Amino acid sequence: MISLQNVSKTYILNKKMVVEAAKNCSLEVSKGEFVVITGRSGSGKTTLLNLVAGLTFPTSGKVLIDDIEVWNLPDKELSKLRNEKIGFVFQFPSLIPSLTSLENVILPTIYGSKFSKEEAHKRALQLLDEVGLSDKIGSLPRQLSAGQQQRVVIARSLINSPDLLLADEPTSDLDEQTEHEVMTLFQNIHQRTGITIMLVTHASELVTYGSRSVRMTGGEITEDRKLFTGEFIPA
Amino acid sequence: MNKLLLAFRNVSRNSFRSGVILASSALMAGFMIATNLIIGGAQRSLQLALERLGADIVVAPRESTTAMENAFLMGKPASMWMSRSILPEISSIEGVKAVSPQLFLSTLRGASCCSSPEMFLVAYEPETDFTLRPWLEEHLGEELGVGQAIGGYYVFLPADQDRILVYGYPVELLGNLDGTGTGLDKSMFFTFETAYEIARLSPFQAVEDMVIPDDSISAVMIKLEPGSNPVAIATKIEAQIPEASAVISSNLFQSQREDIQAMLRTISLLLGIAWLLSIALIGLVFSMAINDRRREIGVLRALGSTRGNMLASLLAEGLMLALAGGILGAVLSALSVYLFRNMIISSLGLPFLFPPLLSLVGMSLLGLGLALASVVVGALFPALRISLMDPAAAMRE
Repeated sequence: MISLQNVSKTYILNKKMVVEAAKNCSLEVSKGEFVVITGRSGSGKTTLLNLVAGLTFPTSGKVLIDDIEVWNLPDKELSKLRNEKIGFVFQFPSLIPSLTSLENVILPTIYGSKFSKEEAHKRALQLLDEVGLSDKIGSLPRQLSAGQQQRVVIARSLINSPDLLLADEPTSDLDEQTEHEVMTLFQNIHQRTGITIMLVTHASELVTYGSRSVRMTGGEITEDRKLFTGEFIPA
Repeated sequence: MNKLLLAFRNVSRNSFRSGVILASSALMAGFMIATNLIIGGAQRSLQLALERLGADIVVAPRESTTAMENAFLMGKPASMWMSRSILPEISSIEGVKAVSPQLFLSTLRGASCCSSPEMFLVAYEPETDFTLRPWLEEHLGEELGVGQAIGGYYVFLPADQDRILVYGYPVELLGNLDGTGTGLDKSMFFTFETAYEIARLSPFQAVEDMVIPDDSISAVMIKLEPGSNPVAIATKIEAQIPEASAVISSNLFQSQREDIQAMLRTISLLLGIAWLLSIALIGLVFSMAINDRRREIGVLRALGSTRGNMLASLLAEGLMLALAGGILGAVLSALSVYLFRNMIISSLGLPFLFPPLLSLVGMSLLGLGLALASVVVGALFPALRISLMDPAAAMRE
């Protein structure tokens, strides 16, 4: 489903400082996998996720989703792909402050044509119920706790029934209990829908929630193994 | 939930950005509409005054043309006399089609024998007149008789009376002319015969005599044959009649027209500077607001907004504010000019006529267009820059 082929990403911060955030990364992710990518801060995890999502242009290499080379697509097609095939959960508070929980969940549907207004509304209510926030549909983000906000974001990420869910440090701002609740939610979604998940975290203990663990160090993939079998996957 | 609602919610969220753009748009639209109203109103007023006079050339005693223009424009009574004997001389000049004399008179100030103080009075000769005749034919269907008059737009009967007293003589007001915004609106028009009757009776009825020197007139209205040269004829009149000054209608109110032109130039310059400053301010405020929302814009791009969607959405936010500000500015400026028109007239020394509704709508649309253009030009660069940015780069702090 996802194929990264010798992908590198270099940032030029100023004329003197060049940062190689991802170095020759190759990764194959099959449909239905729950990949947890770990590594220290600055190891290139978020860059890898952004490359998969088509949110940043690779300096070299190829990114393919369902055999389509992401960066060969024109903006309109790439936006459509992000809208219909990928769900996003970000590290930072990513809800639109002026919209209610329900409106935030519906938001991605206004950029696509997958669902009618009524269907989107119905589906958003159902998703908010699934994440345990059916009583918060009219609340603005500032009226929700950090954990509740992240659950609204998870509901939003699923509104268009994506094939792939990308989560970037989704629990970094949460306490231990809420972190467990959110990770269990990801696990439940994965088990129930069979959606492919790529989750980035600096907390290596969270790999137990996934089915595959990828470790990054200094922009390189240094370890890649299946969790239940313990089988190492050669790069 | 739709893109427009999202833009509207964003507008209501950022009060500083919204306030600055709203105020800037209101000021731009308001400034433009107010100045257009004042200048347009003055130009229209001058044009209507010329049409009201209906003459190609106006002859007045030498050195009295300014007083005559002031009387016509500002309603400031003027007294000027020249011999009636010039009429045949003017009539005999080739190219002159019609010649009609007028008397300029005035009511008294602070006298019980006059209903209205210092009102400019114009007496005309019905046999030769072409200034009032079209109006009389259309509205009354007959000539004015002795003791009858028509008034300018703002001439009314005194309360509880059915006549206007002029030097103790009761004048019957038969109708009012359309407004011109000039002194003609506060003037009264009657025949020579009425004027002479008022003058004859004034020693017995008024606190002061009305004096009309024998065989004298104040001004001569001249209509030319089609195709004749007004400049050449005016020059000829002045050469033949040294005590008279001949002003062709296109030169009438010349100083006022020059004042308007000078004002127009100054205002255009100020408007241009204000527009550039407004664009720069909107650009700056928009850049700041967009910078604060970089992450949010990155998120929207990640959720499926195309570059075009993003650009349109950001511009829509600006246009909503410009529209609201523009309408606010248009309404406030039109209302202010309407309410303070008398103050504007007296401070600028120019006549003024509030434009008809259609023209006001046109000016308001122009003002709105300017406000919208300011926002589009000011916001385009920052909106384009963020829309073209990598979503990941936009999300990075």
